[in-house]
Amino acid sequence: MRSSIRRVALAAALTAMASSGICQDEAAKSAKPKSSSSAFPDGKPVEMVTLFGAASASTATARVLADGMAKVLGVPVPIVDKPGAGGATGYVYLSTQKPDGHSTVWSSNSISTTFHSGQLPFDYKNFVHVARVTVENPALAVKADAPWKTLKELMEYAKANPDKVRVGNSGQGSQTHIASVALFSSAGAKIIPVHRTGGQATADLLAGRIEVAVQFPQAVVPHVKSGDLRVLALLSSIPDPVFPDVKSAKAQGYNIDMPLWRGIAVPKGTSKAVVAKLQDAIKKAVESPEFKDAGNKIGFTPAYQPTDAFTKMIAEDDKRTSEVIKEIKAAEAAAK
Amino acid sequence: MSAFDHLMSGFAVALTWKSLLYCFIGCFWGTIVGVLPGLGPLAGMVLLLPLTFGLDPATGIIMLTGIFYGAMYGGSTTSILVRIPGEAASVVTCIDGYEMARQGRAGPALMIAAVGSFIGGTVSVLGLMLVTPPLAHVMLQIGPQVEVVLMLMAMCTIAFISGGSRLKTAAMIVLGLAVGTIGLDKLTGVPRFTFGNLGLADGLSFTALAIGLFGISEILINLEKSETIKAIQPKLKDLVPRWKDLKDSAPAVTRGTIIGFIFGIIPGVSHVVSTFVSYAIEKRFSKHPEEFGRGAIAGVAGPETANNATTGTAMIPLLGLGIPSIPATAILLSALVMKGVSPGPLLLTEHPEVFWGLVASMYVGNVVLLILNLPLVGLFVNLLRIPYGWLVPTILVISTIGVYSVSSNAADVWIMVVSGGIGYILRKFGYEMAPLLLALVLGDRLEEQFRTALTMSGGSYATFADYSSLLVIAVVVTLLLILQALAWTFGYSKSIADEAERT
Repeated sequence: MRSSIRRVALAAALTAMASSGICQDEAAKSAKPKSSSSAFPDGKPVEMVTLFGAASASTATARVLADGMAKVLGVPVPIVDKPGAGGATGYVYLSTQKPDGHSTVWSSNSISTTFHSGQLPFDYKNFVHVARVTVENPALAVKADAPWKTLKELMEYAKANPDKVRVGNSGQGSQTHIASVALFSSAGAKIIPVHRTGGQATADLLAGRIEVAVQFPQAVVPHVKSGDLRVLALLSSIPDPVFPDVKSAKAQGYNIDMPLWRGIAVPKGTSKAVVAKLQDAIKKAVESPEFKDAGNKIGFTPAYQPTDAFTKMIAEDDKRTSEVIKEIKAAEAAAK
Repeated sequence: MSAFDHLMSGFAVALTWKSLLYCFIGCFWGTIVGVLPGLGPLAGMVLLLPLTFGLDPATGIIMLTGIFYGAMYGGSTTSILVRIPGEAASVVTCIDGYEMARQGRAGPALMIAAVGSFIGGTVSVLGLMLVTPPLAHVMLQIGPQVEVVLMLMAMCTIAFISGGSRLKTAAMIVLGLAVGTIGLDKLTGVPRFTFGNLGLADGLSFTALAIGLFGISEILINLEKSETIKAIQPKLKDLVPRWKDLKDSAPAVTRGTIIGFIFGIIPGVSHVVSTFVSYAIEKRFSKHPEEFGRGAIAGVAGPETANNATTGTAMIPLLGLGIPSIPATAILLSALVMKGVSPGPLLLTEHPEVFWGLVASMYVGNVVLLILNLPLVGLFVNLLRIPYGWLVPTILVISTIGVYSVSSNAADVWIMVVSGGIGYILRKFGYEMAPLLLALVLGDRLEEQFRTALTMSGGSYATFADYSSLLVIAVVVTLLLILQALAWTFGYSKSIADEAERT
């Protein structure tokens, strides 16, 4: 009888361990706080707010970055998961935190999409964007036996046949949705966007229920290797290790550069010295071989970019996103 | 790669210490919830659901599936020794199993139940392994419009054949679908029933709801029972069956395996139905039908084999198509989706380690369970002596920690508590939670596929009656009618299931 009770207690301990505690423990183990006088990070942990749930690929990437940053900063970098409302919950939470560098958010394009679709009460200017960390490049795929051999052929077909080409994406408001709408409308082509989650767009494309799928490389790469699908373009001009031979849309004459980016942001008012320290820790973490390995496994491309360049990129991205969302809303209103 | 190579790579996943450990935890916990009357496989799975979030998808699913089939083993123990079914699929085992125990033959009954379970379970995994890959190819052609038709048919079938009132089951399905609409509309981002609250934008947490509706309500119901359970203590040296036992059991096990595997495709209550059909068939085929009810070993062997043989089949719709057909696989689906793995026709190409790792782990798990259930049967029987007064607070603490840890959200704990209360009240009035849970998981998918089908067809509803939809309807209806006819022929009817539900 005793032993069985002990086992129930063991299960309880395992439950607790496997879920919330584990990442913090690991971070704490890898970095014993050094006693420094007044300088940041002050021996206190640097929290990293994540937006898409403990089990998401986004949070998995955040954990790798947090481990790397903890090693450089010498303090634990615990993950604080605040999922909800497409990321808005976490951004709102961070905006209420002290601008002392101990509160950071694992941000992404979601800051623009949630703002322009009305879920977030403030835009990207409310934060200081410390550094870009990764990008994921949307890839435009068609069936291997499709008649279009180049992006140009597809675009011309779509232009000549409005409301005929069905383009699958990974969900309403997702980066693949925004980027695909931006691409086709820049050429004046009208398409039917098909919102799919969980890789269903790939299945639809393979079965011929849609003509085109815009997906992140991981979702299509096994089928490109098997010869069932063909990638016509990357909707980003950042080279992708998964598809080194595929040309970007920009190189093929379409001015679209819309990767999914992720980076670290802190509340406005955080001092320059603190931002510089965080930036340095991020740079070292991103350039480590561990980070690159994790990228191959989880499916992201390390793409460090410092504050100024990063902020400029976000501003451009935000402008385009706002235009695309307006266009989507107008199309929806017209459909009603 | 051939199926054999794939299976070997699956064993490479399943035989890592981590997979083995979690497979063992799953099987062990599954046996416990199977043994404990009141805690079934569903409650067992939802209680450990939060544990999977820190694991990779293959390991998480290996553990949860272990609970599912582990409970099928454990259920027989209580049926045989106490005449209380550990879970619904072991109701028939009470009849002859307990009778055998009273005659001092508990050992052979337990032995045959475990061996039968092992054979049924293993053959069923073999079937799963052989059927799914070729089927996945066909399933790829199943578009959203056909999925909608399939899901609606599954829900109708569940309402029609589950034990208890059809109206009440249907009501629970509708409630599940309704609760599932809370949150942002997936396709257009319009908030529904959120009352402006950002916290509700992603809907109610599935883990919190599942633990509340299933775990907490089940615990509350168990609190009402205060009597202590008196179990017949088997002697280990009596485990070895006689030659006659083996001769009587062998055909029953064979038939039970086939019955379980075929009936496993019925949505909703396949494992329960299969045991009744198996018992009826054994009685019909027996040379000594008068022994049934007086300790016939075939009456234990058949049903116990059958309920395990359903486990592999029940996984086929989930892994091949991505549609759960029973509540247990619905929980597996939600666990996989939370990990970013979508079961479906592409699972085999995109996440072969999940599919083959799972298949391999089910072989391993069945061996683990055979070992757990034979020598350790005494330990599990002793579990019945733990007073509920100790068990309940422990489980409540585990649940609360688990729910909170998923997203560190205190509101989820309240959702768990409130849904536990609501679940308790509903169950007191004879409403089952299982259809609600299934509808909750299917609801999202149903809506998404329904609207996607319309997008793809350019808004034409005729898509739901196109050639492929009609073909699927015809095939499924024919199959269900044949099974129903078989069940009737061998004396299974809904009234028997209703009666079983009440015990």
